[in-house]
Amino acid sequence: MNRLWLLAVVVANAMLAWVPVSSAQVKGSIIGPTTRSYPVAIAPLKNLSGPSAADVATRFADIVGRDLILSGYFKILDRSAYIEKSEASGYTVDSINFDNWSVIGALALVKGAYTLEGDNLTIEARLFDVYQRRQLDGRRYHGSVTELRRMANKFADEVMAQFTGERGPFDSRFAFVSTRDGKFKEIYVTSADEGDLQQITRNQTLNVSPAWSPDARSLLYTSYKRRNPDLFLIDLNSGRETLLSQRPGLNLGAKMSPDGTKIAVTVEDEGNADIVVLDRNGKVIRRLTDSWAIDVSPSWSPDGKQIAFCSNRTGGPQIYVMSADGGAPRRVTFSGNYNTSPAWSPKGDVIAYVSRSEGEFNIFTIKVDGSETRQLTQSAGNNEDPSWGPDGRYMVFSSSRTGHRKLFITDAAGSSQVQLTHGGGDDTSPAWSRWLE
Amino acid sequence: MGKRLLGVAVVGLLVAVLGVGCSTKKKGAQAGAEGSGMGEEGLGTGNSLDKYRAGTLGSGEEGPLKDIHFAFDSYELDESARNGLRENGNWLKDHTRAKAEVEGHCDERGTVEYNLALGAKRARAAKDYLVTLGVSGDRLTTISYGEELPLCHEHTEECWAKNRRAHFVVVSE
Repeated sequence: MNRLWLLAVVVANAMLAWVPVSSAQVKGSIIGPTTRSYPVAIAPLKNLSGPSAADVATRFADIVGRDLILSGYFKILDRSAYIEKSEASGYTVDSINFDNWSVIGALALVKGAYTLEGDNLTIEARLFDVYQRRQLDGRRYHGSVTELRRMANKFADEVMAQFTGERGPFDSRFAFVSTRDGKFKEIYVTSADEGDLQQITRNQTLNVSPAWSPDARSLLYTSYKRRNPDLFLIDLNSGRETLLSQRPGLNLGAKMSPDGTKIAVTVEDEGNADIVVLDRNGKVIRRLTDSWAIDVSPSWSPDGKQIAFCSNRTGGPQIYVMSADGGAPRRVTFSGNYNTSPAWSPKGDVIAYVSRSEGEFNIFTIKVDGSETRQLTQSAGNNEDPSWGPDGRYMVFSSSRTGHRKLFITDAAGSSQVQLTHGGGDDTSPAWSRWLE
Repeated sequence: MGKRLLGVAVVGLLVAVLGVGCSTKKKGAQAGAEGSGMGEEGLGTGNSLDKYRAGTLGSGEEGPLKDIHFAFDSYELDESARNGLRENGNWLKDHTRAKAEVEGHCDERGTVEYNLALGAKRARAAKDYLVTLGVSGDRLTTISYGEELPLCHEHTEECWAKNRRAHFVVVSE
């Protein structure tokens, strides 16, 4: 009876498979992190399956283009300027007239083709260096037509691998809290291009702090739907929901360990918030903090051995790190009197957090040893809730810079900040999943 | 079972009357799925979450107990807060069968999770003071809503000050 209505999440069904079309030779930094707006043309896919095959051709190109714009490295050349039309041209290095692409300013080109038979979609996509007139990468994807989005996201991640030396973060999903459908804070899930936005909760109360399981199939979240802020785990494929923690008071800000076996969560004891570790069934394994002060917002190190958290034990809130087995915490932040929301990078080296100064909230990073504080946002509204992407190069955060709070993506240096979510209402508390399996 | 169904129907009716409107929005499958959640919530007690759902938070009747207020990132009780608590304590001592829920709230600034913890501290600080005044602790429960249920929506200090509050709801008499 507690089952949510059908959530058509395609992510975990993994009918999708890819094979390299040819061995890619060049992997390296053709463009560096300081390069911006590398011009790419993304041609609609050529239709090899006869007439009336839906909008696969342009949707693939649109999603790849959207992902690449979010990365901050690329600009996508306007399709109306393309001289070589997909249906009347080839998509291999020998059959492309590269002059038609260099003349419009493209340095890189994505071309390819698709066949659609019933629901079975095959996409072949290739990436070319226009100047050198050679193929950098090629991929063939098979799967259901419902997996078109994943094929595009995977290909965008490959394009980023070719140009930056590291796989991109877009074959993944985002969970967040939003008031877009009215005044209630409900939880939503979307891919980077927003084309598959799904509402996960519909209880018309308050829902906060969504967090992914490492396999990106389930979400932890806290809801007031039973009046007390209880902790739930929902499986996005089946819609099956489990009430994990219902102690009186807060059951808040839960995060699953990187191996998926444990859950760190804030619970309340006589008004005081402390962090405990639960097993997957919600049973308390150990108490991590036991101070009179507020201890909230645990974030696991990628090896699962340490936990960063926020505590006001020395006055205002500061970031601390402690062993996941317990012991004495070590204070990490010393600058400023309001530092919250720690998010440990998947690369392990830095912790992102929120700091308040001069009435403004901004995103910072700091090395785990407490050195090298770096400010990522400034003079652009309030910026909060950092959550790292699967590659540890990018993070998502919420910002009020456009009026309403919306989600933005930034690289770890803060040099590229691109709006991720649009539409009405406030979008807050984003959680970026790992790569889909 | 019949009783439970009746309960769901009564809550549904109440929700419809209050204009929350979920019953009209939901299609069959959805209503079935989360309908059980609705049924578990019971009849409204007039706490801030109920008022928020009914669209009356900040404009409805305030009840016999007064809000008290806090400084930013603080759960200390200043003199004004202690005076308010003495008044609330007197009312509770005059109404010996009354029980109250103490809600802790914050302004919009700062982090959702930290503010939920701060709201818990504020509610607890208010409860503890009432207990020192002689109100029995088992008559008082606490809950934090953090920054989630503001009374006032402008981004000004005047508005924020109103939102940094402990609110008291009489839950039974």
